[in-house]
Amino acid sequence: MSAAAVEMPPSNGTKRGSLTRPSLGQRLATIPLYVLALSMLAPFYWMVISSFKSVPEITRSPPTWIPQDPTLNNFYDRVWNPDVQNPGHTAGLFQRFTQVSGGYWKFMFNSVLISTSITLGALLIASLAALVIAKHQLPGRRIIYLLIIGSMMLPWQVTLIPNYITVSDLGWLSTYQGYIIPALAKAFVVFFLVQYLQSLPDELFQAARVDGAGEWRIWWSVVLPLLRPALAAMAIFVVLGEWNNFLWPLIIVTGDDSMATLPVALARLNSNYPGAQNSGVIMVAALIASLPTVIFFLVFQKQFTRGITITGLKG
Amino acid sequence: MTTEVIPTDGAVDPGPAPPPAVKGMTLRAARWRRNGTSLLMMAPFAVLFGVFVIYPLVKSLYLSFTNYRGIKPPVWIGLENYTSLFGDERFRKAMLNTFLYVAGSVTLTTIMALIVAMAFRGQSWLHRTVRVLFFLPSVTSAIALNLIWKWIFSPEDYGMANQFVGLFGVDRVEWLSTPSLAVPVLVFMGVWGGIGYGMVIFVAGLNAIPEEYYESARMDGATPWQQFTKITLPLLRPVTAYVVITGLIGAFQIFEAVFIIFFRSAGVIGGLHDSALMIVPYLYDQGFGHFYLGRASAIAWVLLVIIFVISMIHLRITRANRDLT
Repeated sequence: MSAAAVEMPPSNGTKRGSLTRPSLGQRLATIPLYVLALSMLAPFYWMVISSFKSVPEITRSPPTWIPQDPTLNNFYDRVWNPDVQNPGHTAGLFQRFTQVSGGYWKFMFNSVLISTSITLGALLIASLAALVIAKHQLPGRRIIYLLIIGSMMLPWQVTLIPNYITVSDLGWLSTYQGYIIPALAKAFVVFFLVQYLQSLPDELFQAARVDGAGEWRIWWSVVLPLLRPALAAMAIFVVLGEWNNFLWPLIIVTGDDSMATLPVALARLNSNYPGAQNSGVIMVAALIASLPTVIFFLVFQKQFTRGITITGLKG
Repeated sequence: MTTEVIPTDGAVDPGPAPPPAVKGMTLRAARWRRNGTSLLMMAPFAVLFGVFVIYPLVKSLYLSFTNYRGIKPPVWIGLENYTSLFGDERFRKAMLNTFLYVAGSVTLTTIMALIVAMAFRGQSWLHRTVRVLFFLPSVTSAIALNLIWKWIFSPEDYGMANQFVGLFGVDRVEWLSTPSLAVPVLVFMGVWGGIGYGMVIFVAGLNAIPEEYYESARMDGATPWQQFTKITLPLLRPVTAYVVITGLIGAFQIFEAVFIIFFRSAGVIGGLHDSALMIVPYLYDQGFGHFYLGRASAIAWVLLVIIFVISMIHLRITRANRDLT
C-alpha cells in the first residue's frame, strides 16, 4: 500500500458501489452506529455538565442531565473560606495548589512551554539529521538510520529508569531541561522526514550548490521550506504527544509540584482529593487539559488524518 | 581509511557535486570539509539519541541483571531478577491481566473500527462529522479521560454508569472495586478510545480499493457478504495487520488508566487484589514506588521482548504480503 494510494480523489457518493449505495436494510443497520457515534460524546458531556454543577448538585441522586443552577464555583468559589466550615462549598480549582506560586496557571504555563519547546527543538534537529541521512554522503549514516528505525520497534518504557538516573545525576529533576532535553531525539520524526526527503529529486539540492549556497544555507532556505507539509504533520503529533505525556513528567516532578504539567496536576488532584465533593473541581481540570487539544484537532483535522494515513499505510 | 574509500565510493554512489567555492582544494579536502559539515548537522540528534535512547537501552539491560536500589552501586546477580519475577504472584497476575486486556481490547477495537469505517467512509458532511466524533478520544489527554471514566464509574447510584444500567433494572454496581469487572471495564474504555484511530486507517484502506472490483463482482452476481469476504477483507489485509499490530503494541503499554482509575494510595496501584495490575503499572510500582530499579528494569525487558516479537511478526507479514503482490 503506497502513500500515493491514500491521496485518492474524494469519492463521489452516488457512483460508488454497494458499500455506499445502501439498501433500506443496510440503512436501518447503520442506525445503531449513529447511536454509538453520539454516545462517543457522552463522557465529554458528563465532564462539561459536572464542571458547572454545585457541590450539592453533583452528588444528587438521580443526577441532573442539565445543571439546574450552573455555577463557576468549581473554578473559583468566593464563598469558600479555608478557616470556616461551609457545607456545600469547596476550594475551586484556582484556589488549590496554594504552595505553588501562580497556582493552576503555573501548570498551564509549564505545559505550553514544555510542549512547544520540545516540538520546535525536535523538528529542527530531526530535519538536520534527516537531511544528512537522505542527501549527504557521511560515512556511517546508514548505521545511524538503522539504529533509528530499530529503536522505533522498542517500547520507550525501557529507557525510563536509566533516563531517570541520568537526569537525577545531572541535577535536572523538576527542571525544564529535565523535561525537554531527553525528549528531543524523536526517531519517528527522523524516519518520516527521511522518507519525505528521499522522494525529492537530488537536482533541487544540486542547483542550490551550484548557486554557491553552503550546506547550512541549503538546509535553512531550501530544505525546511520543502519539508513544510511533512514538518506540519509531525509537529501535530509531537505537540499532542507531549501535551498529553504523563509517565515521564510524573517521575521527574519531585518536591513541591511547581514544575508539574497539566496531566501531573490532574493526577495529583486525583490522589490528594478523593471523595465525590471534589469531582466538580476535577472535571474542571480535565476540561482545561482536554479543551486545547480538541480545538487543535478540529482546526487541523485534515492534517491529522492525512498524517495518520501516510505514516500508517507506508511500507 | 578515507583514501581507499574515495574511488569506489565515488563510482558506486555518486555524491552531490562538490560546491564550486572549494575549486582550489583537492578532492579529498573538499570531501573532508563536506563530511565535517554533515557531521555537525548530524551531531545534535545523534548525541541526544545516543545519550537518551541507545545508552539507556543498553544500561537497562545491564541493570536488569543487578540488584540496584538507587543509592549503593548496582550489584551483579545474574538472572535472579528474572527468575524471581516469574515466581512472583503479583507479576504473574500483571502478565495475565495484560494479556486478557490486550486480547479483548485489540480484537474488539479492530472489529468495531472496521464496521465504523465501512459505515462512515464517505466524504459527505455527515460521515465526516461522525468520524470526528469517533476520533475525539484519540486527541484527548488520557489522564483527563480516565478521570472522567472514574467519575462515570463511581460506585454511588448518582454515577452515570449506574444510572445507565439502572435503565435496564440492574442494581447499583461497584464497578471499580469488583475484581472480576476490572479488566472488562479497562477493555471497554480501551475500545471506546481506540476505535477512532483504527477507523481512520481503515477508511483510507477501504477507499484505496478500486471500485471496479466490486462492479465486476456484482455483475457476476456476488452478494454483499461475498464481496466483503472475497474482495474487501483480502485486499485490506496489510491495513488490518497494521491496525492490529499498532493496537497490540499500544495495549501492552497500558498505564494511565490503571494509574488513575485503580489508584489506591501513594505507591500502591492495581486495584483491589491487583485485579487491574498490568505490566507497566507494575514496573512503575517496583521502580518508583519501591525503588527496586534492577527488578523494574527486568520488567521493562520482558515488555521489550514481547513487543519485539510482535514487531518481528509484523515484519514477516508485511514481507509476505509484498511477495504476494
